[in-house]
Amino acid sequence: MEELQEKIKQYQLKFDEAAKNVKSPNELQELRVQFLGRKRGYLTKLIDSLRDLSPEERPLIGKEINELKKYITSRLEEINQNLAAETRKTPRIDITLPGKTIPLGAPHPIVKFQEEIENIFYQMGFSVEDGPEIETDYYNFEALNFPPHHPARDDWDTIYIEGRDDLLLRTHTSPVQIRAMEKRKPPIRIIIPGRVFRKETPDPTHLPMFFQVEGLVVDVGITFAHLKGTLESFLRRLFSERIKIRFRPSFFPFTEPSAEVDISCTVCLGEDKECRVCRGSGWIEILGAGMVDPQVLKNVNIDPEKYSGFAFGMGIDRTAMFVYQISDMRSFYENDLRFLRQFLKQ
Amino acid sequence: MRISLDWLKDFIELDMSPDKLIQVLNSIGLVVDEVSEAEGDLILEIETYANRPDTLGHLGIARELSAALGQPLKEQQWPVTETSEKTEDIIDVQVFVEELCPRYCGLVVRGVKVGPSPEWMQRRLRAVGIKSINNVVDVTNYVLYATAQPIHAFDLAKLAGPKIIIRQAKKDESFRTLDGTELKLSPEMMVIADEQKPVALAGIVGGENSAVTEDTRDVFIECAYFEPISVRQTAKRLGLQTDASYRFERGTDISFPPQGAWMVASLLCQFGGKVTRGLLDIYPHPRKKRTLILRHHRVHELLGVEIPAEKIESTFRALQFGVDATQPGSWKILVPYHRVDIEREADLIEEVARFYGYDQIPATFPPLKQLEPPPSPAKKTIQRMRSILFHYGFNEVLNFSFMSEEDEACFASSRRAVRLRNPVSSRSALMRTTLLPGLINNVAYNLNRGAEGVHLFEWGKIYFWKNDDAREHLSLGLVSTGLMAAKHWSSPQEKSDFFRLKGAVEALFSLLRYEPINFLEEEHPWCEKGVSLIVSYKGEPIGFLGLLRQEIGRKYALKQDVWIAEFDMGYLLAKQPRAFRFQSVVKYPAVIRDVSFLVDSNLPYQQVQGFLEKREIPWLEKFELYDRFTGASIPRGKVSLSFRFVFRHPERTLEAEEVDGFMERIIRALKTEFGFQLREGGKIDK
Repeated sequence: MEELQEKIKQYQLKFDEAAKNVKSPNELQELRVQFLGRKRGYLTKLIDSLRDLSPEERPLIGKEINELKKYITSRLEEINQNLAAETRKTPRIDITLPGKTIPLGAPHPIVKFQEEIENIFYQMGFSVEDGPEIETDYYNFEALNFPPHHPARDDWDTIYIEGRDDLLLRTHTSPVQIRAMEKRKPPIRIIIPGRVFRKETPDPTHLPMFFQVEGLVVDVGITFAHLKGTLESFLRRLFSERIKIRFRPSFFPFTEPSAEVDISCTVCLGEDKECRVCRGSGWIEILGAGMVDPQVLKNVNIDPEKYSGFAFGMGIDRTAMFVYQISDMRSFYENDLRFLRQFLKQ
Repeated sequence: MRISLDWLKDFIELDMSPDKLIQVLNSIGLVVDEVSEAEGDLILEIETYANRPDTLGHLGIARELSAALGQPLKEQQWPVTETSEKTEDIIDVQVFVEELCPRYCGLVVRGVKVGPSPEWMQRRLRAVGIKSINNVVDVTNYVLYATAQPIHAFDLAKLAGPKIIIRQAKKDESFRTLDGTELKLSPEMMVIADEQKPVALAGIVGGENSAVTEDTRDVFIECAYFEPISVRQTAKRLGLQTDASYRFERGTDISFPPQGAWMVASLLCQFGGKVTRGLLDIYPHPRKKRTLILRHHRVHELLGVEIPAEKIESTFRALQFGVDATQPGSWKILVPYHRVDIEREADLIEEVARFYGYDQIPATFPPLKQLEPPPSPAKKTIQRMRSILFHYGFNEVLNFSFMSEEDEACFASSRRAVRLRNPVSSRSALMRTTLLPGLINNVAYNLNRGAEGVHLFEWGKIYFWKNDDAREHLSLGLVSTGLMAAKHWSSPQEKSDFFRLKGAVEALFSLLRYEPINFLEEEHPWCEKGVSLIVSYKGEPIGFLGLLRQEIGRKYALKQDVWIAEFDMGYLLAKQPRAFRFQSVVKYPAVIRDVSFLVDSNLPYQQVQGFLEKREIPWLEKFELYDRFTGASIPRGKVSLSFRFVFRHPERTLEAEEVDGFMERIIRALKTEFGFQLREGGKIDK
């Protein structure tokens, strides 16, 4: 039995040695016959000699022979494939030449950024609403607690429709808050992205049209603490978990109390007194927000004693400018392909 | 609002670093936008709000700081030198329009030496950005910037008599302002007049005819309260905005005019003036302070944090509000006159929050009690539309919603454009009635910057009148010109053409399952003759595609072929597309027959396609036109069309003989209907 085991080892070494020298399919065939040939193959002979062993020894050695057979078979196949690959005729090409591209179109960064914002709010249980861009004075101002002749209207430079004193281009997406609250009863948890218009002469930071996203939550027991929690989660998801967030008192006619929300400057991390982005303050103003003014709730027949809510608004262009460090807001609307196509990678 | 630190210290002690001061101001909502140093003073540019006119002077900022720091305001003295004359013997004020001018105070200062102001006053005015004129005018500005109370000084000698009349202007009454602007007034405007003429436009600007000059000796000081709406309407109508009107239209402190008048008088006494006895104070119906109820539980309900009663009370006391705590659980709050913004309980709660500190309020998440409705199917369709177009190589653009008169002339349509009353520029005089002018401008812009191929789409609203309604419709515009892809070493360059665009359009509507779409050969005013198709869905036209007319292209400096298309997505999105249904894959093999015909070259392919689609051909899975050519081997007036027909039976393998039978029927039908000739060498597999 030991003798046989020794033989098995020897055959494997012999095979490996011979396999090294196989250079052609013919030689490979010879090698195959030499070891696996049905009549005179080494392995066939080995199997024949099993007969001389005791019934206890037979399966042991049988197994070893089988393993060797598997080994040889797989090695022969490997050599066969290598030989085939070597002999296959392939035209000589310079494979270092550049590959072909499929000209994929690029998304507009504002649309893409808006989508990102929407996705974060979907995750937080919000839905998305929209509304008309040509609005009435009532929805754009009056229902939002801007009385006629109120100086607060000066902050929202308005473009009006010719021939119709009651119509204007919405200066914010807030009128959709009113429309949403007229349409349905609380609980309400919506965001409203969209185009807004201001009478502004275009310059690097002002445009007569830009995109805004507005949010509104109304329910029983909604508090300023909820406003803070919601906006902090949103901003952390949009920017980074590491940013610092600051709420400061502010004023909007349609919220009370009102707040302005700043995030820590992600460009200089508050360490550069000369920082171009935060002007050395370490903070970037990012959102306006507040508790929905009781008068606004009354205007849509929601009882402010029973319900409360919060609202917020953010410039999409302005925020995208900050995120991508784009210095001129006009570049979003010039639609230069060299600008737009960069966002294929984003 | 520019605030001088040096000036602020007249009102309150401030022992802190500028950084700390800015932080305190920020925390109560007085945002410091900019800090600069001038003449050893620190100038803070503070953002103010339309509802807080009380912060439009140094006193107001000091009051806020006093509450934030828990530090009292400094007492101020305004001593005067008096003459023996009584004010009422010199001036007789008659208010005809009490509803517009509920309070009017006046004093006369005699013997003022008009000249330059002292250096300290000039420096302070410089700090807030005001030019020094003479000591009398400077004093009025000084008091305005100190207290937010506008003051006007008249040259007493120039008034026609003792009477000062506050009245409506007469129709077309003319008035010349201090700076020489000639104005025509109308009756809804309020003027200050003597017996002959208006001498000031109330609350806005003084008249040239009564202005203080170097020759002035005696001065009449006006310190009044004018109703905000009246001042605002007049200022707006006349296109005037002054430091005074800015404050009056936001609301001044009605309790302040006497103090304001004495401050001015006291300062003028420093220039040799003597004040008449007794302040004129026309205030026939003194107003009560506003009383509001603040419920403690509402503070918690709105802010989401328990704030102790003591903190709430001390905040209001520090802000000079009256606090009556006799009712348990709530307070009666008396609002000081300078806080015109505090009208409701919510306004009081904001004060509590501001001085408690927004950063002290916890951040929690509102409980989700009910799910919001899911995104609309239209939203998903638009997302799919975008990804299909990206795949076809179109880049997404966004243009302004405006267009110019020239655009309107080039792209006139049956849609009546919405015009803007006060557009930003003539280039944006109207709302766009089509997306194409924007897209074509984008093409020109990119070609001018070296782009060799421009393929763009925009989806957005177009606007037009439908009767008296301003309508907004979602539109989709496409433009394509030039090379399809960057040059590549391995293949010839492919340029955009009609079929590139048509292929994208076909794929778009097919993948969105808006099927069937029909194309009609019809002229379109924006397209070259014979190169436009009207696209319809279920018989309704939804848009067009074609080659931009050269005359229009030239207006946008375009010389090359530009392929254009526009579709009414709003209409489509309102329709339900065909439902998506999965079909199991048939495992039996197809039988394929390729066949070529000679066809009259004038025959529109669409007719052939329609004919074949309508015929009931057994087990025909699909057919494709895979080749089309003319040339030397083809007779004149003919074209060779090669079709591939694919047959498949869902439950068994088709026999070649069966399929031959079907093919015979197809060929016979095409021969009879259109005179197709089977081409020599065209293979029929028998």
